Amino acid sequence: MAAILILAIIGLPWLGAVCVWLVGDQRPRTQHYLAAGFSIAAGLAALVLLLFVSAETVIRIPAGNFFGDLTFVPDGLGAFLAAVATIVGCLAVIFSIDYMRGEEQLGRYYSFILFFIGAMAGLVLTSSLLFLFVFWEITALTSYALISFYNDDPKAVAGGIKALIITQVGGVGMLAGALAAYANTGSYEIGIFLEKAHTLPAATLSVIAFGFLIAAAAKSAQTPFHTWLPDAMEAPTPVSALIHAATMVNAGVYVLARFYPAFEDVPGWRTAVILVGSISALLAALMALVANDLKRVLAYSTISQLGYMVYAIGVGGVFASQFHLLSHSVFKALLFLAAGAVIHSVGTRDMRQMGGLGKDMPFTRSVFIIGGLALAGLPILNGFWSKELVLEAGLVDGPVWAFGLMVFVAGLTAFYTYRMTSMVFGGSSPAERHIHDAGQAMKASLGLLAIGTLTTWLLAGPFGQMLSTSLPAHQLHAVGTWVVVEEVVTAPATLLALGVIALGLAAWQWRKHLAGLGRLLGGFGQLATDGFGFESLNRGIVNATLKAADTIRPLQTGLLNWNVVGILGGLVVVLAWLAWSTGIGR
Amino acid sequence: MAAFLQNPLNVFALGVLGLLGMGIYGLLITRNMIKMVAVLQILVKSAVLALVLAGKAGGNINLGQSLAATVIVSDTIVAVIGLALGVQIQRRFGTADLKEIATLKG
Repeated sequence: MAAILILAIIGLPWLGAVCVWLVGDQRPRTQHYLAAGFSIAAGLAALVLLLFVSAETVIRIPAGNFFGDLTFVPDGLGAFLAAVATIVGCLAVIFSIDYMRGEEQLGRYYSFILFFIGAMAGLVLTSSLLFLFVFWEITALTSYALISFYNDDPKAVAGGIKALIITQVGGVGMLAGALAAYANTGSYEIGIFLEKAHTLPAATLSVIAFGFLIAAAAKSAQTPFHTWLPDAMEAPTPVSALIHAATMVNAGVYVLARFYPAFEDVPGWRTAVILVGSISALLAALMALVANDLKRVLAYSTISQLGYMVYAIGVGGVFASQFHLLSHSVFKALLFLAAGAVIHSVGTRDMRQMGGLGKDMPFTRSVFIIGGLALAGLPILNGFWSKELVLEAGLVDGPVWAFGLMVFVAGLTAFYTYRMTSMVFGGSSPAERHIHDAGQAMKASLGLLAIGTLTTWLLAGPFGQMLSTSLPAHQLHAVGTWVVVEEVVTAPATLLALGVIALGLAAWQWRKHLAGLGRLLGGFGQLATDGFGFESLNRGIVNATLKAADTIRPLQTGLLNWNVVGILGGLVVVLAWLAWSTGIGR
Repeated sequence: MAAFLQNPLNVFALGVLGLLGMGIYGLLITRNMIKMVAVLQILVKSAVLALVLAGKAGGNINLGQSLAATVIVSDTIVAVIGLALGVQIQRRFGTADLKEIATLKG
């Protein structure tokens, strides 16, 4: 049964991708409904799979000696993330029915979204390191294609290529890690790798651990690779909600959580993870404070919240990080889709040109505020419980400076969330305009996500149970929902965090009285607007590459004879190496 | 030396090396596109001979011969396409000199 479900979760969206493409762009109505149908079917299959969670390998497809077997294991981590990917995926597709109405080339749009949903489910369900890499790269490719969907806009094309190149850096780290693991254990199976990890030479294990950390940081947009995510906001908003908030960017956190038992004892690894997470959280929150583009603020807050998850893994809170991942997927998809509804009616992403939208779009305002409260971490929404769990794990097992930083970032989060909400919905409208609230399909997805934001924290108990029974290597212990609730409510970290969050909210409320402080920090704000110089670092690398290419360019003579010399030279080297390594001529 | 040539396999091996040397030398010095195709043919013939020779030496003559036949067929296609390209280049550039048509020069 589990095998059929897994095939359905991956296969149905891919089949849908082909069907939508074959239907052709002359029949947009059919395309809308086909895409929605296939994604909803995949979402239902993923929900049913949650009942069949186990640590058994249920699918094993031989792929030859070189590639190892293509295996799938529906364990708690994989099944839960597959459910998030397919369900948020189908809600994004339903939202698109309104959002993309009247757009050209819907076939390309829906095909890539469905292709992405299947690949994301495959990424989290496979237990083969090599195929993990393959699915990883498919998600990068679809992400690139969808960021550059409006391919007559140079900014969209540049953003897509930037995302592709930076995530490729991570892909190289992943491949290096996977090959090193294969070379030392003789298998691509993740389970076998986790078992044998402690017998590997320390240096090899370090290479694998840090390779995977680079991969995760690039995919999850963590410092210093975070610069691609804000530029990826040129994508259509449902794509941003699905790929760049709820699913693909979580792949990095997923990999860290999956391999945590193998890497936790590698010297310096946990410290590096804590550093990456907390610095990303802080820098992104600061940049969110000063950004004026609605989607960019949300992108920065995504980086910041992913920083929380990475930090949680660094301090050993695998459950807390995955729980925050669940909450974040739901409330951030909600925020993005609500922002999409706003952008769709106003026609701009600049928050300075919005304002006063609350009266015109009451439904969107209500769900956006629910999402905003969850992002800020206020009770009793799902973001509150999971963020407090992360902070509690940090206080118990992590360094104090990192905990202090994360609590401070919680205050910043409240501040920029309040700022964003009041700039968009509060105040008075700047000019006469004709605004309509979200359409029916939009309201349906927004409503479901809002209900999710209010309720997913109730799943803490079953979720922990599912993870602990199917992930033997992680040694998690399950507790009931009410134990989690009691733990959070009585923890000293919670009061502290709530206090700081209240301070953040108060700071925006009384910002006029703090004007002096604002002037004092003016230069710092400019620094944050410029992205703390990471963009010039990128430009430096690009320029150096171009310069190097220019320098070695004359080597290409364009003459066939010289190419033959090159080929012969290569042949001689290979033959000499073969002769040396096989012992001939020694 | 005479003993070396007594074994027919060695003679064939010399033939393979000779054809290979001629082919590579030709590839290095030829500037004409059409001549390049002809030189390539010599090079491939050395490979065909080597296949037959390897089949005989390895005791699997049938395999060697069938592979040789395969190479002959695929090589014909290479020659045809190469010559067609040569004709096109001649028409477009007015010359078949490789130095004149080196548009990939950095």
